[in-house]
Amino acid sequence: MKKIVYILLSLMFVMSITSCTDWLDVNTDPDNPNNKSALVANRLPWIQHFYMYSAGVTNYRTSLQAGVYYTSNGVSNNGLNVTWACLPGSTTTSYQSWFAECANNLNDTYEKAEAEGAYHYMAAVDVIHALGFMEMLDLYGEIPYTDALGESVSPTYDDGKTVFNGCIAKLDEAIKLFEKTQETGAEQFADGDMWHSGDVSKWIKLCYGLKARYLLKLSKKADTFDMDEILDCLAKGPESNADNTIGTCYNKTSDVTDSFYGDPIMTNGNWDYAAYGSTQRISKYYYDLLTDMRSSGITDPRMSKIVPASMCNIKLDASGKVQSYDWLRSKPVDFYGESARLVYGGATSILAPTYASSEVQKSYAIDNDANRSTFIAAIDGKYAYTVNDKTVKVTYRKGAIYVNSDDYMKAGDSIYISLRNNSVLTGNSSLGEMDMNWYFQSAAAMSAGAVGSTGSFQIRPNSDQEILTYHEMCFIKAEIYMRKGDKNNALKAYKDGIKAHIDMMQDKLTEWKEGGYKNPDMWPMDESEISNYLTSDAVCQTSSELTMADIMLQKYAAMGCSIENWNDMRRFNYSAGNIGSFGVVYPGYDRSPLFAGQAQITGTTKTDPKYWMRRWRMPDKLELAYNSTNAIAANAHAMDADIWCIPVWWDCSTDEEYYGYIK
Amino acid sequence: MKRNYCLTLALCTAWGFSIYFSTAEAVDRNEVSEFTSVQQAKKITGTVVDSKGEPIIGASVLVKGTSNGTITDVDGNFSLNASQGSVLVVSYVGYTKKEISLGNAANYNITLAEDAQALSEVVVTAMGIKKEKKALGYAVSDIGSKEILKNKNANVINSLAGKVPGVNITQSSGAAGAGASITIRGGNSTSEGRENQPLFVVDGLIYDNSTSVIGNSGTDGMTRSNTTYSNRVMDINPEDIETMSVLKGAAASALYGSRAADGVIIITTKKGSEGSVKVDFSSKISTSWTNKLPKAQTIFGPGYYENNGVFNDLTYDSWGEKISAGTALYDNIGDFFQAGAVYDNNVSISGGSKNNSFYLSASNYDQTGIIRKTGYDKTTIRFNGEQKYGRLTVNANVAYSIANTDKTLTSGGLYDGGGSGTMTALYAWPQTDKMSTYLNEDGSKYRLFYGRKDLEEESYENPYWIINKDVMNDKTKRFTGALNGSFNLTDWWDISARVGYDQYTTDAYTYIAPGSVVKPLYQNGRLNKSDYAYTYISTNLMSNFHKTLGDFDLNLLVGTTTESTEHLNQTHWGYDFITKGTVSFSNILSGNQFFKDATIKKRLVGVYSEFRASYKNIAYLTVTGRNDWSSTLPVDNRSYFYPSVSGSLVFTELMPKSDILSFGKLRASWAQVGKDANSYATLTYLRSPYTYGSYTAVGNYWERGNPFLKPEIQTAWEVGGELRFLNGRLGLDYTYYHSQTRNQIASPRLSNASGYTLSSINSGSVINDGMEIAITGKPIVNKDFEWDVTLNASYNRGKLGNFLDGVELFYPTDAQFGTVKAASVPNGGRFLALTGTRYAYETQEVDGKTVEMKGGRYQVDPSTGLYKISTANTAEDIVVGNREPKFIGGLNNTFRYKGLTVSFLLDFRIGGDVYNGTEYYMVSNGLSKRTLENDRESVTVSGVNSQTGEDFNQTYYADKEYTISGTTYSGKAMIKKYWLNYASNSYNFITSVNWLKLRSLSVNYDFTKLLKKQNVIKGLSVTVTGTNLLTWTNYKGMDPEVSTAGGTGGSGATGIDYCSVPSTSSFSMGVSLTF
Repeated sequence: MKKIVYILLSLMFVMSITSCTDWLDVNTDPDNPNNKSALVANRLPWIQHFYMYSAGVTNYRTSLQAGVYYTSNGVSNNGLNVTWACLPGSTTTSYQSWFAECANNLNDTYEKAEAEGAYHYMAAVDVIHALGFMEMLDLYGEIPYTDALGESVSPTYDDGKTVFNGCIAKLDEAIKLFEKTQETGAEQFADGDMWHSGDVSKWIKLCYGLKARYLLKLSKKADTFDMDEILDCLAKGPESNADNTIGTCYNKTSDVTDSFYGDPIMTNGNWDYAAYGSTQRISKYYYDLLTDMRSSGITDPRMSKIVPASMCNIKLDASGKVQSYDWLRSKPVDFYGESARLVYGGATSILAPTYASSEVQKSYAIDNDANRSTFIAAIDGKYAYTVNDKTVKVTYRKGAIYVNSDDYMKAGDSIYISLRNNSVLTGNSSLGEMDMNWYFQSAAAMSAGAVGSTGSFQIRPNSDQEILTYHEMCFIKAEIYMRKGDKNNALKAYKDGIKAHIDMMQDKLTEWKEGGYKNPDMWPMDESEISNYLTSDAVCQTSSELTMADIMLQKYAAMGCSIENWNDMRRFNYSAGNIGSFGVVYPGYDRSPLFAGQAQITGTTKTDPKYWMRRWRMPDKLELAYNSTNAIAANAHAMDADIWCIPVWWDCSTDEEYYGYIK
Repeated sequence: MKRNYCLTLALCTAWGFSIYFSTAEAVDRNEVSEFTSVQQAKKITGTVVDSKGEPIIGASVLVKGTSNGTITDVDGNFSLNASQGSVLVVSYVGYTKKEISLGNAANYNITLAEDAQALSEVVVTAMGIKKEKKALGYAVSDIGSKEILKNKNANVINSLAGKVPGVNITQSSGAAGAGASITIRGGNSTSEGRENQPLFVVDGLIYDNSTSVIGNSGTDGMTRSNTTYSNRVMDINPEDIETMSVLKGAAASALYGSRAADGVIIITTKKGSEGSVKVDFSSKISTSWTNKLPKAQTIFGPGYYENNGVFNDLTYDSWGEKISAGTALYDNIGDFFQAGAVYDNNVSISGGSKNNSFYLSASNYDQTGIIRKTGYDKTTIRFNGEQKYGRLTVNANVAYSIANTDKTLTSGGLYDGGGSGTMTALYAWPQTDKMSTYLNEDGSKYRLFYGRKDLEEESYENPYWIINKDVMNDKTKRFTGALNGSFNLTDWWDISARVGYDQYTTDAYTYIAPGSVVKPLYQNGRLNKSDYAYTYISTNLMSNFHKTLGDFDLNLLVGTTTESTEHLNQTHWGYDFITKGTVSFSNILSGNQFFKDATIKKRLVGVYSEFRASYKNIAYLTVTGRNDWSSTLPVDNRSYFYPSVSGSLVFTELMPKSDILSFGKLRASWAQVGKDANSYATLTYLRSPYTYGSYTAVGNYWERGNPFLKPEIQTAWEVGGELRFLNGRLGLDYTYYHSQTRNQIASPRLSNASGYTLSSINSGSVINDGMEIAITGKPIVNKDFEWDVTLNASYNRGKLGNFLDGVELFYPTDAQFGTVKAASVPNGGRFLALTGTRYAYETQEVDGKTVEMKGGRYQVDPSTGLYKISTANTAEDIVVGNREPKFIGGLNNTFRYKGLTVSFLLDFRIGGDVYNGTEYYMVSNGLSKRTLENDRESVTVSGVNSQTGEDFNQTYYADKEYTISGTTYSGKAMIKKYWLNYASNSYNFITSVNWLKLRSLSVNYDFTKLLKKQNVIKGLSVTVTGTNLLTWTNYKGMDPEVSTAGGTGGSGATGIDYCSVPSTSSFSMGVSLTF
């Protein structure tokens, strides 16, 4: 009997070992799919979306540095345009949205596509790899690259040269893969490609177009800058607007917000940053290009589509709805020139106007007689007012737009119209998908129908996100021919670029109007204005007069919210005028009178590279705090306050110069 | 068969026993026949006295092996019927049990020797094995029922505070039903979700004590800090507890395996004892009150001055004008709280005979919170029974409890929902507004800024609205049961088996009423319902071999165990009620309703063995080994082994007997314990899919799984000793320990260049060093008067060892309170550090580098005219505190004079930083009395100009104007700015806290002796208890014993006092009756 017990007990112990294997296999979450199981056709839209999101925040913040926009938002973003007291707070989102939202899907997708023989998905992953990492290089100079996205949780860094060559190699691989036919059984490329619906020929043009864009970055490097190769790439790149790579964006009630950033998924990435809040405005630099290019005094037909307007002189009907009003086209904020308003009030002092939901009285004490007279003249006929000695008391009737400040100098801030546009998920839920206006920040204004901003062409929730466009190709071609001294071809490409951009806009505006959007700034430009403009003095008409500044400023106007403007400005050393014999390419662009970035931007003369913003500091909270050893190993100055003015690899004429900076 | 290992094992076990049952019966019958010839009983009388000849009252006198017994009277006399040849067992607490064989004599004078404590003390150790305390090579503390009930609390954890060295208890708040956290010898794991709390084992069954957030911030907006949660050991009725053993070190707990790396608390519940059936009844009422509240200033009213000096009244902030005389003022903070009350009733019936025993209890605990409409009530039922069949002993423990909590949002609104909690609104509400008016006369909502601000623009919800209109509660129903069988195969071999089951469901309900201050989306009402179900099944099979060879006593134990844990959290939420008045999902459009569920499964198999050897009563050695297979680790790493060795030497046995040093023991141990991962950490998951036009998009989650995870391994050693002097009148117990937990499993924020914000990793080690000391004394022991005193003190120094290169700080959670965050500092820095913001100090050049002179003058930023906030970001620059106390301890005194017992417990703490986030909050909104400095007429900024380095001295006067960086500011605006600047310096709110608390004071009178000459009532006593009556501390805020977010893992949220529900003091009166 006892033996049976011994045997039984022994059996039980043995079983406890052998049967545990299956019993223990419960470590896969039954409620959530994991990264090994996702279809590549579902992965690619995610990758494309988050690339666009990352590119959007990058476009916006580098546009602040390029002087396209002004922001009064916080010290850190404002530091990128007005004071140049650049703070790390603004460098986080581009990095995080690229690495932790988009790029972490690249390897899984590539591997699964490779296993299926879905070569076009592999190629698309390569292209987005190049797009994203090149932007990281443009921003941060040295980044974890070959060691990134792998097993290491403290990836080592690579220098800019390695990243650059890696991205070019990815594009070369992509071209080869796109030329292959997918294996049967592989997921259809059209099922997951939001950009070209699976049209491989357009992807190949995108690859060549990107190569042209990237090789152009080497323009300071006499030894490696290969203009013929760029022309060759351009020849194989986009040939018309039909070849543009754009991300279609939507303003839909069916949209949802992203659980990471809280922004609507289907909206434009630029919009999420440039026009989500009410603190962004058009800069004087950009505005002047649209109203006075080449000192012609001619207003660009694109101006009213890019510079927003708001309602003013609003009169309400008995039911409290807007009965009559005038459109007020925004005035730009000056922060590079005289900058009187900011010098008076401070770098972030522009105030947002308020809609008077009931009658409001404001008293302004204006000691200076001349100023008082000017002030009174400005309000005369618009609002009731009384003058008592040096105090002007103004009554803003219900429905009026006023600035809630007793400072008369700020009372006029309503001329600086916000670039803001609400999406249907971020404040316009009661208005529906077709209302692409922003109403002065209150329920009363929305109910009255008081439009606070009509928005701007590139940065509405439903604007196309421009990833690579034909007009950029034209301007690259113009620059190359200009550099080659072939002014005739340069002029042609320059004019083609301007026209291509206007055509692209006109097509979209036509589509919007036909779609039924009620916002007049979303309707087409007047064709006669276009033809007048194209033949006016605003556009250089003869090759002999053509300057590099003409080309680059038209490119700037066309690119608008794009990192490429900042890249170009760095290539031409902003307004230093010391690149080749091109003179000052960005005239008027300069440090603000409110410059306060002595610690970040240390140069003292314009020809000193360190006089300008050259890169971003790696984010403290997401990278430097966890990976400082590797960051410093790659760039001894990674943690220094003045990292902001150290040129990235392609911004140096030689490797020696580059390694000299980061030693 | 392979599918369900558990069932297999259970069946085998049952089968194994059934085979033996027939044999056992046969044996039993033989024994019974021997007992049939009972000799004639006669009357025996006697007196029981102590060594000084003083009679012992209430000593138990029992005929061995029967239920025949009695207790001695006031003169120590007893009488009972017994037969010659039988054995009398005489026992009394504090004395050594004595057995007397009855001869012819009819009268016996029995002297009981005082128990020299610990000489033969038995404690419950790992796996429920009872061992003599002197045999242990590690420190174990045990606490008996009386000690636990002295300051009885709904949460038995709170009753441990100050009583056990090395144990740190933190209450999360004074809200009814709020939990507490307990750590033993510091935390061992860095990461959130790894709670660092000991394993609870109740009668052999592993008993869940998690503090779970029911619901999820991402779906229904629930977070750890926006309300209060219970820890689930609260489901135990403290009256049911017989003893609690605290196994502190790795050696003590190693047999329990993976889950015991943070120590074990073994709870043994009461059993019936041999003799007549006993009925215990106790009833208690108590009242509680807030022991300290923040004081709001009543000089300045609401509003603030804008930069240009224009007064703005559209704010709750109190930066306004002086409150004019005669203005009605309201003590909103004081008025908000009420006296709490508890009605606590318990009844138990117990009894038993030679072969069986039973214990049946029921209790109801009904608490009203200090916040109106909140409360906690708990009903428990327990049955413990044991039956012997010859060599087989079967016992069963079954408990059922229902716990309901009515609670409220506290320090915040629902995550991403807008609004505020009661406490954040309360500590900001202007004193000139009567906060209790939250409705207009017509019943509509009253708002301070009605018509001037939209609902969503309001900064705060009125707390009275929250408690009266919104609803927040949870209901937990829990069943635990265990069936144990043990069988003595031979006199040297026994086996035992156990199947345990722990199951509970918590249903949480949150309703935000229409018209609340929330996001527009939720302004027409919101409803969340979450159901959380926990199921735990364990099996355990043990076999024990015991042999004595000469002076050597040998024991070998082998066993195997399985555990299966499953959590299911289902959340259903929606918003916008269509028809007014019906709060139901049926009244919400289907498009506005959401459902989410989350399942977590975990399984573990363990095989363990323990070998014990002892030589005489002198030397003891224990060696253990355990191998675990955990489902949470990658297949290749899921098996891990860990050993322990411990020994003790009773050196006084080698020395001549001494009256001075009556007992002396040295002990030492070394052990390893493995700790597995949390479930699902090995894979990377996908986020919820998105629709994009006609495309569907999926992508990876922001946390990366790790298919290479290894278990955390803790290696620990401890040495210590116990000394007993003067026959146990004075005792000393000392332990020094060291532990290092390597391969920390964590999901910290790391370089995003890995592709993820959080990455599951194995890295770093947590190192704890500490000391525990306990001194016990009986300064006075005589017939009428006794004085027992215990002093314990301990410290722990927790450090984070080497970690990933380049990682400056380890944050267990993203939560920030005020300006501070809980953090651990790698490479030897503090485990319980606190990071924050601070003013920059003036700088100087050292070796060509600009460095701050810590402790020097502050930099003043000329562009703001205020102190510059440091932007330096190395660990050294931003660590602003260390929350670990230097010493903690308690002094426990009991005085007994005849039937009167007075006891009090003093609990002390020296050092350890506390961040007064509530004060930060009130400085920010202008309610703090600190902001009254100079009657708000002026503030002075003094330091060095951050740009030029020149001296900077500027006083801002309220009635002047200042031009700073081109902008003109009114003095009043500057004064407000000064205080906001002040609030951003964490150091202004950090105190290294010392306290001495009168944790409990209890007076008990035992009326039993006054109830002579009746047989109905066997015991009657009345107890009056006060808890937290007095606190002496240098901390200026509320109670320094706080943790804003209870149950947070890693370095947790202890030491952060941020808008919590204030702690309470209480006074209670109870009566206890035994029939």
